[in-house]
Amino acid sequence: MTDPLALEPVLAPGERGRLPFNDDHRDHDERFELFEAHVQAGGKVESTDWMPDEYRTGVLRFVEMHANSELMGVLPEREWLMRAPTLRRKLALTAKVQDEVGHAQLLYRVAEDLGKPRDAMIEDLLAGKTKFHNVFHYPTRTWADIGIIAWLVDAAAIVAQQALRDSSYAPYARTMRKICWEESVHIMHGRDVVVTMVTGTAQQRAMVQEALDRWWGPLMQMHGPRSDRAKDRDLHWRIKAKTSEELRQEFLSIYVPRILELGLTLPDPELRYDDEAGAWRYGEPDWQELRTVVTNHGPRSQERLAFRQLNWDDTAWVRDSILAAQPTAA
Amino acid sequence: MTAPPLEPWEVFRQEKEGDPMRHGGSVLAPDAELAVHYARELFGRRQESVRLWVVRRADVHDLSDPDLLNPPLDRSFKKPGGYVMRDKLAAARERSGRPKPKASNR
Amino acid sequence: MTAVSEALVPATRDALALLLLAMADDELVIGFSDSEWTGIAPLLEEDVAMSSIAQDELGHAQALYRLLAELVDDGRDADAIAYDRPPEGYFHARLLDHPRGDWADTIARRYLYDTADAVRLEALGACSYEPLRELVAKIRREERYHRMHVSAWLERLAGAGGEPRRRLLDALARLAPDAATVLAPLPNELSLVMAGILDAGSVDLDARWRAEIGPAFERLGLPMPPPAAEPAAARTNHSEAFRWLHGEFTSVRQMDPGATW
Repeated sequence: MTDPLALEPVLAPGERGRLPFNDDHRDHDERFELFEAHVQAGGKVESTDWMPDEYRTGVLRFVEMHANSELMGVLPEREWLMRAPTLRRKLALTAKVQDEVGHAQLLYRVAEDLGKPRDAMIEDLLAGKTKFHNVFHYPTRTWADIGIIAWLVDAAAIVAQQALRDSSYAPYARTMRKICWEESVHIMHGRDVVVTMVTGTAQQRAMVQEALDRWWGPLMQMHGPRSDRAKDRDLHWRIKAKTSEELRQEFLSIYVPRILELGLTLPDPELRYDDEAGAWRYGEPDWQELRTVVTNHGPRSQERLAFRQLNWDDTAWVRDSILAAQPTAA
Repeated sequence: MTAPPLEPWEVFRQEKEGDPMRHGGSVLAPDAELAVHYARELFGRRQESVRLWVVRRADVHDLSDPDLLNPPLDRSFKKPGGYVMRDKLAAARERSGRPKPKASNR
Repeated sequence: MTAVSEALVPATRDALALLLLAMADDELVIGFSDSEWTGIAPLLEEDVAMSSIAQDELGHAQALYRLLAELVDDGRDADAIAYDRPPEGYFHARLLDHPRGDWADTIARRYLYDTADAVRLEALGACSYEPLRELVAKIRREERYHRMHVSAWLERLAGAGGEPRRRLLDALARLAPDAATVLAPLPNELSLVMAGILDAGSVDLDARWRAEIGPAFERLGLPMPPPAAEPAAARTNHSEAFRWLHGEFTSVRQMDPGATW
C-alpha cells in the first residue's frame, strides 16, 4: 500500500489549505507575513506548525518563565508543609504544592516541545540566566502567609492565566485551561484558611493582617509596570491577551471588596475606586523593588535557588539511573 | 551502559464513560510502565478520568496535509448542510394543503 | 461511642484501640516522610506520584484516627489524637523512625512498609469489627497502586547496578533491621485474634510477610530483613528524627492551642 504521506502535493502553494505559512515552497518573508496575519486574526499555532524564530523564542521565553515560577513557587509553601495545623490542612497544602509541581511539569512539557530540553531550562534557572515571578522571592513567616499566598497570590496569577487561555500558541492555551481549573481549588483553600483565622482568636486575626501588609506590595508589583500595548511583542503575537495594568485592575476589582469584607485593611492610603475613570487608583508600586527582586536580589532569592540546586544535585543519580536502568520486564 | 533517554508519551483521557478519548497532554518517562504511572498522576489524580491511553509519541503518525484532509472540490453531498429544500418543501405543502410538521425539520 | 464499639468487651476494646493507634501512627509518620519529597523529587512526574502516595497515607491515618476517636470516645477528635500528644506518646513502628534520607531510603522504606502493611490489612480482611473491616477494604484498594509504584522502583534500583544498587543496599542496611517492627507483636494481640478482629497473631503475620517478599528479594539478590532485635520496644523510644518531625508538625497548632485552624 502506498503511504499517503509520501505523495507529492498536487496543488500549487497557496491553494492548499488554511495555514499557508506551513508551505515550505514560500520564502521566509512571505511566510512571516502570512503567519503574522494568521495569529493577529485569532488563529492558533500548534507545535508542529512552521513559526518564525521570533515567535518561537517569544513563546519559549514566556512559557519558560511561567514554568520556572511554578517550580520556584513550590518552595515558599513547601516550608510549611510539615507544619500544617490539622490533617485536613496538611492534605490540602500537600495537594496544592503537588499541583504546582504538576503545573511546572505541564508547562515545561510545552516549552520542551518548542525545542529546549528540561534539564537545560532547570540549569539556566539555577544559574540565574532565566527568571521567576517576584512573589516567590519573599519569605513566608507565619501560617497566615499560607492563606494569603493560596488566596491572593494564586488569585492574581489566575487572573493572568485566564487571559492566557486564548493564547495564539494552542498547546499553551490548552494547558492554561487545565491549570485554571485546578487553581480554582487553591483559591478556595486559601480563602478558607484566611476566613477561619479572621473569625478565630485575636492572635490569628493579627497574623493575617500582618501577612497581608507584607504581601500587598509584591502583589501590586506582580503583573509588572504599565506598558505600551503597541510595543509589546507578546501582545502583538497574541501570546498573551491583556496588558499588566488590565490584569491589575481586574485583580483589584474582584479582590479588594473581598478583602475588606473580612475586616482587613490594605496598607495603601491612596487605594480607591475612581467612579469617573472607571478604574482603581493606587499608590505607585515600588518598581525598583520589582527589578531588584526578579534579578535574584530579593530577600530569599539566593537561598531558594541554593536549596533547589542542592536538591537537584542530590537527586542527579536517580535521573541518571532512570536513564540508564532498563526495566527487567520487556 | 547506554539506554534510551526519557521520551515523551502522549496521554489521551476519557472523562466519563461513553465519552470520546481526548488528548490530555504528555509526560516524560523512560518506559511504558512508568509512563502509565505518570499519566495517572498528571491526568487522573483528581478523579477526572475514567480511562487513559498512553502512547509513545514516536508511534503517533501525524496527518495534517490539507490536500488529504480538506480537498478543495465540492463535497457538499457528504454533509447534511448540502441539502437545502426549504423552498421545495413550501411548494410541496402548497400542493398538498397540509400544515408544516412541528418537531422535525428533516 | 457507637453500638458496634459498645458490644466489645473492655479488654478487646483496649487491644483494638492500640491496633488502630499503631496503624494510624504508622500511616501518619510515613505520610509525613513521603510528603517531604513534594517539590524536590528527582523528576517532576515522580514528584507528583510520590506526593499522591503521601496524601493517600495521610488520608488513611485520618480515617483510622476517626475510628479510634469513636472507639475511645474521650472527647478528642482525629486531629487532637494526631497532633496533641508528646513525642513519646506516638506508637508507630521503629522502621518509620528513620529520617527521610535519599531516594533509595524512601524506596526501601516504602517497600518494606507497604509489603508488611499489606499483610496486616489482609489479616483484617474479615475483621469482626465492622467499621474497621469496611475501612480496610477501601484502604487496600488504594494500597495496590502504592505497591505497583514501589515495586517498579525497587526493580529499577536493584537492577541498575552501579550507584543505584549500591545506594539501595546501603538503605536496606540502615532500614531492614527495623523492618520486622511493623508486624511485631502488639500487647494483648491474642484478644484481637480471639475476637475475630485479626485472623492471626504476629508470628504468623511475620511468616506471611517473609513468604511474600522472599521471591523478589531472591531474584534481585537482596538480603532478607532479620528478625526484630527488640520486638517489645518495636513502637517506643522514638528517634531524634521523629522528635524533629513532631516539633515541626505541632509548631503552628501549639502557638494558639485553643484556636481553630
